[in-house]
Amino acid sequence: MERELVRKFKDGKLVKVKIVLEGGLIKDAKITGDFFAHPEEGIEIIEKELIGKDLCNARQAIESAIGGITLIGLRLEDLVAMVQECLDR
Amino acid sequence: MKRLRVIEFEFGDAPFNMALDEAIMRSVGSGKSPPTLRLYGWDPPAVSIGYFQEIKEEVNLEFCHEKGIQVVRRLSGGGAVLHTPKELTYSFAVEANDPSVPQDIQGSYLKICAPIISALREIGVPASFRPVNDIEVRKRKISGSAQTRRFGAILQHGTILLGMDYSLLPALRVRAEKLAEKGAKDVAGRITTVAEILGKEVSHAEFSKILVRSFEDHFGAVAYSSDLSEDECIAPTLEERYRSIDWTFRR
Repeated sequence: MERELVRKFKDGKLVKVKIVLEGGLIKDAKITGDFFAHPEEGIEIIEKELIGKDLCNARQAIESAIGGITLIGLRLEDLVAMVQECLDR
Repeated sequence: MKRLRVIEFEFGDAPFNMALDEAIMRSVGSGKSPPTLRLYGWDPPAVSIGYFQEIKEEVNLEFCHEKGIQVVRRLSGGGAVLHTPKELTYSFAVEANDPSVPQDIQGSYLKICAPIISALREIGVPASFRPVNDIEVRKRKISGSAQTRRFGAILQHGTILLGMDYSLLPALRVRAEKLAEKGAKDVAGRITTVAEILGKEVSHAEFSKILVRSFEDHFGAVAYSSDLSEDECIAPTLEERYRSIDWTFRR
């Protein structure tokens, strides 16, 4: 099952979260858009960290991966909310 | 900053341009090259997309193919940009801990955009900074920048629209939501160029000269022209990656 959510934030940045679910667990996650992340690999780390997680522990997965990553144009809270909404639908 | 190395204006194609920015960044980051300002242009025209962008959402690939517009994925985040030969592009690289560039991202954009704003004002273009990373004239974007921090360096590269070939704008797929937000109907309506503001063309060479002087003033540095160092000539191998389908279509 594939779920996708696109959101535009007030500073104009566009973020898309795409999640592939299998048996209630995340099989694949992609976060795309015109935001900035320093270091850039941080986003890939979050995507990897999400694999195998479900609605209950997705937030924790993102929060544990986010340490040391600076996001511009995308707030951590918004990213967590988007992932949860994807899973919750 | 005592000395600022300048790589003089040259046209390149998209993979070459991005590869050379990366090569310079790597060299500066490893302490082999001094702080560097590179000026360049895009020929043929190209679309560059941000590191995190999904290519099919951003680029009208069919139109690009038809018009001979190259598509390249940048090392930096941010949005998709149409680069036409009238644009002047800059890249600025310093070591990650260079005291002349603030560590905080917003502050560093402002610091590196400031000489561009001054140079534009010097030729009569009333430019101002729009956070996070744009320069505007009368609410229209005339310059946009993107930063990446890796390999021990900070690289900021960006556009300066001396002119623009508007006929190529359909290369960008722009979502209606995004334009509504910025209060303009289409992309053409939210950008402007030096040629439009002044009613005359300013050449790459002419503006480059003013820009280099402005960087000298803002960074208290003496600029000097230089060739690429030996390790920066690895650009051709990096170029392979920027030309590859794997890299370009990775998202």
